[in-house]
Formats: sequence, C-alpha cells, structure tokens
Amino acid sequence: MHGRLKVRTTEEERERKKKEQTLKVKAYRAAMAKIQEKRRLQQLDDEMLVLTSQILLRNPDVSTLWNIRRECVEQKSLNIDDVDQRQAIYDTELNFSEQCLLVNPKSYNGWHHRCWTLEHSPTANWEREVMLCSKYLKMDERNFHTWDYRRYVVEKARTSKQNELDFCTEKIKANFSNYSSWHHRSLLLPQLYPYEGDAQPKRAMNEEKLKEELEMVLTAAFTDPNDSSAWFYQRWLLGYSRQELDVCAFRCDNNRAVLSFTNPIILTEEDVVITDSKGNIKKKITNWKSINGAKSDTTWFCSLNGDKVLEHINDQYLLELHITDINVKQITLKTYKQSVYFFKPPNQSFTFTENVLNELQTQLESCESLLEYEPDSKWTLLTSALLMRAIGSQKYHDKSLKYLGKLEKVDILRENYYRDMASKWILEKYLLDWTSSEDFPGKLDLRNEEHLNAIFYPQYLCIADIVLVSEKLNHYSDKKQLQGFIAFKL
Amino acid sequence: MDFTSFAKPSNVDGNNENNSTDLHFWKHVEYIENHGKDQDDYEYCMTEFLRMSGIYWGVTALDIMNQLDRLDRTSIIDFIRRCQCPVTGGFAPCEGHDPHILYTLSAIQILCIYDALNEIDCEAVVRYVSGLQQFDGSFFGDKWGEVDTRFSFCAVAILTLLGRMEGTINVDRAIKFVMSCCNQTDGGFGSKPGAESHAGLIYCCVGFLSLTQSLHLLDVDKLGWWLCERQLTSGGLNGRPEKLPDVCYSWWVLSSLTIMGRLHWISAEKLKQFILTCQDSETGGFADRTGNMPDIFHTLFGIGALSILGFEGLKAINPTLCMPQYVIDRLGIKPQILSKP
Ligand SMILES: [Zn+2]
Repeated sequence: MHGRLKVRTTEEERERKKKEQTLKVKAYRAAMAKIQEKRRLQQLDDEMLVLTSQILLRNPDVSTLWNIRRECVEQKSLNIDDVDQRQAIYDTELNFSEQCLLVNPKSYNGWHHRCWTLEHSPTANWEREVMLCSKYLKMDERNFHTWDYRRYVVEKARTSKQNELDFCTEKIKANFSNYSSWHHRSLLLPQLYPYEGDAQPKRAMNEEKLKEELEMVLTAAFTDPNDSSAWFYQRWLLGYSRQELDVCAFRCDNNRAVLSFTNPIILTEEDVVITDSKGNIKKKITNWKSINGAKSDTTWFCSLNGDKVLEHINDQYLLELHITDINVKQITLKTYKQSVYFFKPPNQSFTFTENVLNELQTQLESCESLLEYEPDSKWTLLTSALLMRAIGSQKYHDKSLKYLGKLEKVDILRENYYRDMASKWILEKYLLDWTSSEDFPGKLDLRNEEHLNAIFYPQYLCIADIVLVSEKLNHYSDKKQLQGFIAFKL
Repeated sequence: MDFTSFAKPSNVDGNNENNSTDLHFWKHVEYIENHGKDQDDYEYCMTEFLRMSGIYWGVTALDIMNQLDRLDRTSIIDFIRRCQCPVTGGFAPCEGHDPHILYTLSAIQILCIYDALNEIDCEAVVRYVSGLQQFDGSFFGDKWGEVDTRFSFCAVAILTLLGRMEGTINVDRAIKFVMSCCNQTDGGFGSKPGAESHAGLIYCCVGFLSLTQSLHLLDVDKLGWWLCERQLTSGGLNGRPEKLPDVCYSWWVLSSLTIMGRLHWISAEKLKQFILTCQDSETGGFADRTGNMPDIFHTLFGIGALSILGFEGLKAINPTLCMPQYVIDRLGIKPQILSKP
C-alpha cells in the first residue's frame, strides 16, 4: 500500500496484466485451499512448507501461513532426539525467513518468525545474527525493524556495549543524517557513562562525555545544517525535558489549601501534613480535590472550613509530604498575611560545570558566525536560542526571544510552536522576578507582558490573591488557578 | 440528512487556485462502495489477510461521510460472526485465517459503529484479550508471542469499547510497559523498549494513555515538538525524521497532537492542501503520496485527518479511537484529551 506509483498504461498492457493477475489469483486460491485442507488433516509436512513458502515469498504479510510453518516445526521436532537433526528443522526456517526478509526487509512477520525460531531452536548462533543485522543495515540504515532486531540479538550475544557504541560511531561518521543511529547511541551512553553527580534534573551522562558528544554532534550538524537528525540529538544533550516532578507552590489559611506540582500527578489521601517547628502535627490534609475534577492534575485544592490550622501565624510551620515520586519530604513555609505559603519558580535549564559551559559558549559563537552567512537558517537559529538558554536564561532572555520571533517567520509551519515557547520563557522569567518583587505573593500582574500569548504554568499562579492578565488572555479567566487564592473555591 | 448538501463540499480557505484542492467527495464514496465488489480483483484477493481491517476502514470512512447505508450491514455482521474463533474468542481477518488482536479490534470497531455488539460473544473477546497480557504488562498479538505497543493499544481499545476495562487486565502494569517504551531523547514511543520513536507507534501509545486516563505521564512539550517537526514544506507529515510525507501519518501525527492539545503547532491549512493532492481524481480514494495508487487504508486516514481539521461536510471523528464521535458518545466513552495551553 506504500510507494506504488500510478503509471499510465495502454489498453493492451492493461489486458495483459489483467490476464496475468487472474492466473495469480487462481494459483493463490488453489494453494490456500490446499494448505487449509492439509491443516485440517494435520498434515504438517514438507509439502506444507513448500506450499506456504510459495505464497510467503511474494506476500510475507499473510501471518496465518507463518503460524502454520511454526506448527510444522513443532510437529516435526516432536519425535526427534538428535540435536543436529532437530537443529536442521530450525535452520530451514532461518534460511527461509532470511530469504523473505531480503525481498521484504520491513516484514513484521519475517522478523518475528526469526525471533521465534531462534528462541525455540536447540542451539542459536546469536553472533551470526548480529552480523546479519550489520549486513541489513548496510542496505537500509533506517530500517527500524533491523535496529530493533539488532538490540535484541546484541543482548543475547552479550556483545559489549562499548562495541555497540563503536559500531554506532562508525555508522554516524559514514552518514550524519541517520536518526536511527543517534537514537541507538542515546540508549548506550547513559549506561556506559552514567551521571553520578547530584544536579537536578539528572543528566543523561557524565559531563566529560557530554562535552565530547556536544562537540561531535555540532560537527555533524554543521556538515548539513538542513538535516534535522543531529539537531534533535543536540537538543536532548542540552538537557531539554520537562521539569522533574516536584512541589512548586503551596498556600494555606484557615479556610483553604492549594498545593501545586510541576507536572500532573494523582494525589492520594494520606500525603500531606502541616506541622509546627517541633514536628507536632497541626493538620493532616486529606481531602484533596483536583481543581479540574480530573484523575491527575497539577493543582489540588482542599477546603478547611475555618479549622484553626494556623493558631499563631508568626510561628514556624512546615509542610511534610509523603509522595513516592517526590524527593522533597519537608518544606519550611513562609508567612503572608493570615496564611502560610511556599513557592519555587520554574527552572527549565540545567546548570552546567565550567568545562561544559565553555564548550557551549564556543558552540554559540560558531552558530552566531554561521548565522552571519545564513541569517535564516532555522536550525542554527533554534540551536542558538537553546544554547543561550543553557548558558544563562536570564542573561540572554531578550536575545533568545528575538530569535524565536525570527523563527516564527522563517519556519512559518510551526509559528505557533515558537509563540508558545516564547510565552513559556516569558512566564518563567516573570515568575522568577516576581519572587523578589514587592507584589509577591499577593499580586501577579501579567498585563505588561506583550508577547505572552499562552499560560503554560497555571499551577504557579494559584497562590496569588489576584492574577491580572491582558485582554488577549481573557479566555484564561475561567482557569481555576487564576481565580485568586482568597476567593478560591471549587 | 440530505445527500445533496455534500455535493460540493467547499474548502474553507477560499483561495483555491484550481480544482485539485476540492474534495472529490462522491468519487471517494464510490471508490469505497465498489471496493470488494469484484471478488476476483487481484489487489482485493491479495489483501484478504487483513480483510477485517479493510472493512473497518471502509465502514468508518463512509460513516464519516454520512454514507454508511451504501454498505450492506447484514452481510458485514454475518461475515464478522463467521470470523470469531470458537476456541479463543478472537477474530480472524477472514475465514480460514487465524485470530489476532489486530483484527479483533477492527471487528469490535465495526460492530460498535453498527450498534451490534449483541451479535457476538463479547465475553469470549474479553477472555481472549486478557489472556494475551503478559506478566510485564505487555500484550502478545496472538498466541505466537510477538510483543508490540500496537497490541497494548488494541487491548485497551477493545476493552474500552466493550466497557470491560475494570477487573479484566492489569492496567497499572500495562501502563508501566507502555511507558518503558518511551524514549528520553524525543519523548516519543517505539514498538518495544528501546525501539526508535515512530509516529504510528506514538499514536498507539498516546491513544493508550488517553484510554487509560494517564496522559499526565507524557512529556507533552517535548513530544509535541518532535511531532510538529514531522510537517514538511509540502504540508504533508512524515513518520520519522528525514522520511517522505505520507497521508497515513496525517492521521497518526494529527490525532496524537489533538489528544495532547497541540494541534495548533502545525499548519492545518498546508496539511489540508497536501492531503487533497493525494486524492485520485479518476478513481477516487487517497494514495500515500501525490501520484501514487490509492487504497482503502489511506482513504480512511485522509478522510479522518480532514475531519479532525474541521473539513466541511464530514462528521466529527474521535482522535483516540478513529471512529465517528457520535458512536463514542452513544457508548458513553470519554477518552482523555488535554486542552490547549
Ligand atoms: Zn501510509
């Protein structure tokens, strides 16, 4: 169904083809009828193998025929004790599936039959399978069936991970435009060079290797800046990922409590406790409700109905959490008016060590000089912006936004993506600045943020008494997090 | 509904330069209606191994075009009944072939559209599906042991449509397995742990998470970016980086973005134009790419994508289950969907 060009043919040719096809249909039907009859009679013999192979070589998608072959193999090997003789039965299948895969290397059935055969055969030569993969990857280096099969047999053959990485490097050097190789690499590096530091979010690999990879990938990307494969890998290396699950905001007075997380979670009952500084439990908050009435949510609300949770507002209060996926167990709360709160602004970028930072700076310079020659190069613009964010999101705030603005124009298909990204970065900075402003945490005024087109972090806004947005964001006014803490009710 | 209202479905943008950007509505109806009328047709005969899915593609596309009555309900339901395996409860693609979870889903989808689940032994289907779940939460496609995230999707889709998700399979483990197939580099999914991300399998996994109300596990912005990068200058979408565009990926990518609330990250207008250039203006039907042979598979996904894009004259389609929305409403099913930020 894929890649068949529609060609104009003459009447004569069409007739000839039609005749040919009629014969093929007849032959197919006859063979299928014979096969089904033999199966009914349980004649799972050599003739059956011949009949099924005739069809499968042309059409490997007929999965029932592969099932029948496996039934034949099971039947034939039943009464044979001799290992070599039994192996011969399985070898027939290996040869046959190899033949089929040569014709149709994207056949799910062909690859699975090979796995099944090897799993059931008395002896399996996994090294041979690894070589077979190398051969098939030479024919098509993006065939994901072959890559999947390779990962499977490499495991079985106990090939060293370093060997696999070398194979991968070789593949990439031969052709940078190979997303499949980059992907394979991304699986190996975290295992071979694990990150052992304590930075959050955790890096994928140790910093020394990270630096090397950054160098390698930029060389690749610059070789053909329009090829996306290496750029994707680069973005991953820059630590691009959503924040780790964590508490980001909390506020509570005697009437209500709001608790927010970086990502949506399912909050169960016994998770949250308010204590005084001596650890005495002041309140166990159990009745959390998702503010959107969902199973999972970023923001959770609880009505306290005037409970005297905070007797002496100037006392020190602590929030204790017992949530499996969150590392933080205890948070010191601050006081604001008649309430206590906690707030941690979003942080999307890593903090790198000097060594890596220098490399990033060099890369940014290279990108900038490339932009002098090709000012509209999409990938260079995007990567420059991302590098700036990685080096110092505050320092480069305006410039990185300028690049996103440019991207909206040069990559018009994805203009809304860049607009959303910009909105995200603007709000990140705003929330960071907010914590040191005199409005904090009472008032959150977004009206002057001209390029804020979407609110990506509503869960951070729920602790303010009032949230003010510009007219174009009016459609957010029904978002519960923007209601203002004082008035908040479900 | 009046058929003539569909005679000239208009393209919303209004800046058509030529007729190639019109939807050849009636040609497609005819194409699907005639599909299989000649039982001796070579293509038809050679694709009998997926007949059940073929019928699902045709039935769904016609229903989206409000022309379902052009197919014979009774004979289709009879055919489905004959395909249910009396031993396992699963469905074969056609008589004489073996049951498989892929065709079991297609059979259940058709029966739901026809509101005819009572025609088959649903309990046996539930037994078949739950029997295919493995200890690690994954699903076999049939008894021969192939594991793939496609089968995880099929399993939860079947059980959701039957209203039998509760207490039949281990949903937590099923989720854990699907998440073990999520790639850190791009937030996408492959067919098994470690497999490269691929738009078709991303649809299966995102759809799976939508059906199990677990979309919070996705890194939406990361995956959303990778998915919107599938759009090429032609407007068409590909399934992996540096691959050619293909109409079926319009569906896999578009439905995933819709479920994740990120449909606005691609250009709907350009995609619409690309899909319309893949119509066969002579025979009807859609091909994978402009100038190729049409087939029923790409015809459904072309029509389905146009429906998601709000094309006039088409019924709404549910992005998770790829079935008419009114059927999903009738069944009282609510797959999770994220809102736009
Ligand atoms: Zn396709």
